[in-house]
Amino acid sequence: MTAADPDLQSFAPRRRFRVGARWLPYLLSLPALLVCIGILIPFGTAVFYSLQRYRLSQPWARQMNWGENYLNFMSDPAFWNTLQVSLTYAGLTVSLELLLGLGIAMLLRESNRLNNAISVMLLLPLMTAPALAALMWKLMTNPNFGVLSYGARLIGLEEFKWASDPSTAMLTVVIVDIWVYTPFIMILLLAGLRSLPKQPFEAAALDGVPPLFVFWRITLPMLTPYILTATLFRLLESIQQFDIIYAMTQGGPGDTLTVFQVEAYLNFFQSTNVGRSAALLMILWAITYFLSSIFIKNWLRLRERARGDA
Amino acid sequence: MDHASPMTRWLKGLALTLVVIFFMFPILWIVLMSFQTNETILRMPPSVVFTPTLENYQALITGKLVSSAGVLEIQFMRNLMNSVILSVCSVALSLLLGVPAAYAFARHKFRGSEDIAFTLLSFRFAPPLLVLLPLALYFQDLGLANTYIGLIWVYQLICLPLILWIVRGYFEDISPDVEHAYRLAGHSWFSTFRRIALPLAGPGIAAAGLLAFIFAWNNFVFALVLASADKQPVTVGALAFVTASGIQYGQIAAGIVLSIAPTLALALYAQRYLVEGLSLGAVKG
Amino acid sequence: MTERKPPAIEIDAVTKRFKTDVALDAVSLSVAEGETLALFGPSGAGKTVLLRVIAGLVEADAGRIRIGGRDMDDVPPEERGVGMAFQNFALFPHMSAFDNIASPLTARRQSGEALRAGVEKLATMLKIGHVLGQAPKALSNGQKQRTALARALAGGPRTLLLDDPLRNVDAKLRFEMRLELPRLLAREKATTIYVTQDYREAMALGDRIAVLEGGRVTQLGTPEEVYLAPATLSVARLFGDPAINTLKVTPQTDGQGPFVLLSDLRAPLDDGLSHAAGRPCVLGLRPEAVRFTEAGAPGAVAVTVEAETPLNEKTVTLVTTKRGREILVSRPAGTPGPAEGAAHIAVDSAHALLFDAETGARIAPRETTRRGAAA
Repeated sequence: MTAADPDLQSFAPRRRFRVGARWLPYLLSLPALLVCIGILIPFGTAVFYSLQRYRLSQPWARQMNWGENYLNFMSDPAFWNTLQVSLTYAGLTVSLELLLGLGIAMLLRESNRLNNAISVMLLLPLMTAPALAALMWKLMTNPNFGVLSYGARLIGLEEFKWASDPSTAMLTVVIVDIWVYTPFIMILLLAGLRSLPKQPFEAAALDGVPPLFVFWRITLPMLTPYILTATLFRLLESIQQFDIIYAMTQGGPGDTLTVFQVEAYLNFFQSTNVGRSAALLMILWAITYFLSSIFIKNWLRLRERARGDA
Repeated sequence: MDHASPMTRWLKGLALTLVVIFFMFPILWIVLMSFQTNETILRMPPSVVFTPTLENYQALITGKLVSSAGVLEIQFMRNLMNSVILSVCSVALSLLLGVPAAYAFARHKFRGSEDIAFTLLSFRFAPPLLVLLPLALYFQDLGLANTYIGLIWVYQLICLPLILWIVRGYFEDISPDVEHAYRLAGHSWFSTFRRIALPLAGPGIAAAGLLAFIFAWNNFVFALVLASADKQPVTVGALAFVTASGIQYGQIAAGIVLSIAPTLALALYAQRYLVEGLSLGAVKG
Repeated sequence: MTERKPPAIEIDAVTKRFKTDVALDAVSLSVAEGETLALFGPSGAGKTVLLRVIAGLVEADAGRIRIGGRDMDDVPPEERGVGMAFQNFALFPHMSAFDNIASPLTARRQSGEALRAGVEKLATMLKIGHVLGQAPKALSNGQKQRTALARALAGGPRTLLLDDPLRNVDAKLRFEMRLELPRLLAREKATTIYVTQDYREAMALGDRIAVLEGGRVTQLGTPEEVYLAPATLSVARLFGDPAINTLKVTPQTDGQGPFVLLSDLRAPLDDGLSHAAGRPCVLGLRPEAVRFTEAGAPGAVAVTVEAETPLNEKTVTLVTTKRGREILVSRPAGTPGPAEGAAHIAVDSAHALLFDAETGARIAPRETTRRGAAA
């Protein structure tokens, strides 16, 4: 068949356009996209607020002050306190949860009836609303009848006031956070541990390699992607913690627990300082954006692998 | 592992016992508390020996707290109802919006698809107050303040990314050829989606829905900022309840038990999918 | 062209790229009504992509498809009247075998007795009548494959696309189906494109074979043409088991006609190949185009016997020439072979193929006056 064939020439070039197939994916994701945009608008507003002098109580004084809210932070001890409290909280909770979670995952590694039952049980704290978990612990640490206050007295700590005392408030909320979120790290690492290939461990057992060596040189390196994902995930949430702290102490006593979101919330609703509140949240957003960009890369790699195994 | 010495086995057992005590004790204690009267709660030292009473639950359910000081109205059942309404509607809306989008993202790598998917995912990690505080002001103007609709819309922030990313994974696991085969058999695109893709991703959709429900139920900050008393879910309601009822610890405990029971029950029911859901599909359960 | 009947399927300069990889490079083919075209090629050649373009599952970057003379540009897959069997079966896992096979009929709003009869007729023909109630995962691979085939046929499609349907079934079943399929295809009267990586399947099932390599059609012809007169060295290598012997040679010519030197002895070539003299070439010798012979017979070449393997109906012997070049010789099983050690082979000059060493294109014999003179 050649180009001279009359049959062929009758088909003049024509723009191909199959309406349904071409637009379908956009059509399907349009509603989700609209919700997306609806959320991006207030985000833009928040950026705008953060560049304004804006107090709800003094609407007449509202004006752009550009970076002033941010510049003021430099000399604002309350801001540095917020940063320090947030980082301490995130650092303490995530590192302790990682250690505990890894330890428990190692204990439950072998898949048997008892271990599986325990790992299911450990899901329960994670599925408890953090705000309600904080209330539960508040009841348990009540100075009048709290079982933990009684426990503290039993071991000789007469004046142990848990969250009501500035010196132990951080410890108390960290314990609640650990109670709620350690299971998260645990179940992720447990799933990771159980998906590791068996051969290296069998080979090590045959060669009589000491368990500690196996843990450091085989288990831990192979588990690293899971540990990294779990840690970043938790870090992202922990630096933004609000529910537990607000429900337990509302940032107090004093300013001992005014982490970013709590401080921003109090700024907005108590001192009605919208500009400062928005600027605080922007700084928190910058931190989480940085963390989440690392996290998403890791998570994607892990996800690819999980899908590949399916 | 089988050849562990008795000493290590004993230590392991001890460690596991401590773990179980630490994580289970608070739940157990609060359940016990909810069946006690204030007098037995306030006993020192605390004791597990008491005559169980249902009066705390009774007070919550009837909404009338009878005390020496008189009769106090409790809104708690209303909060519970709000939690149900908000969670169910949010998940339903999320499924309606998220499942078709997840399918589009799984099957068609169209321009911008990854960007949209990632923008949605990034909501999961951004500080919620950043969006909530401006929204609190907008909602006043739009008349959405303190409405179910406004809250349900904001709840999409947590439900939608979850559903999108989990369900997308399940759609990706379906061989495209299975769908192709159905189309070549003469069925339209929509009928293929309905008869092949949806049923095959069914378990994943159900799991994502359950998880989204749990997260919606457990949410605190959205309603704290955007809702006043009559629209508040249990998480916010319970906090208000603690402040309002002062020393009615038995009722507070019962309220907490009623508030956490639904999510714990669902978690036990859907535990098989939790790992995958919590990691947004990064780890297979 | 002898017939003027319009081709049932026309593929016109279809090009498809995936990112930078060219999967199909201006492929043009046409398949006649009722014909079975075997689309053969190594994996990654673009066979499956071409099939999907025809079915409308993959959109081509350029070129067009016509089925029954109708341009398929705007026609969605479900309206192309195409039945397709997938390599991985692609059965609907949540439906019984019956519902799988019935799916093209339900799309036509058939139901009740007519539907049941239609499915059962096909199932009986394909010997899966007894497993219709089962879910795909309860079926053996063979049953899955037959179910997929039945499903592809159920709608009575005018065009049947079979994507390596025997790939994932065991050897015994593959053999059975290779015998059974031509009968089935003849009965269905559908125009068929049969994708395969197995040259025997292509030869057994195809009225014609299109060889696809690297996204291009390198040869289109009847099985005999492709086997006996491959267009290129690589086509020659793809057909035949054991594979064709290839030897680097430079043909010479003398008073007796063209020849090549093997073990320093003269192995004659077809007379029409004298124009290849002096060109670096590759000599392609199918193992069955080489036979053992007596020393001193015309064209006999001395070789050393290295090893012998029985291969079903034939016996294959590995020999080496004086210069250590390896040649496989095949002969019907049971016929006497050479003794250990030294032996002689002769090349069947009519079946010796000569390829240009640089381009790989076959050097076709020219009509010569000498041949006429010899006769």
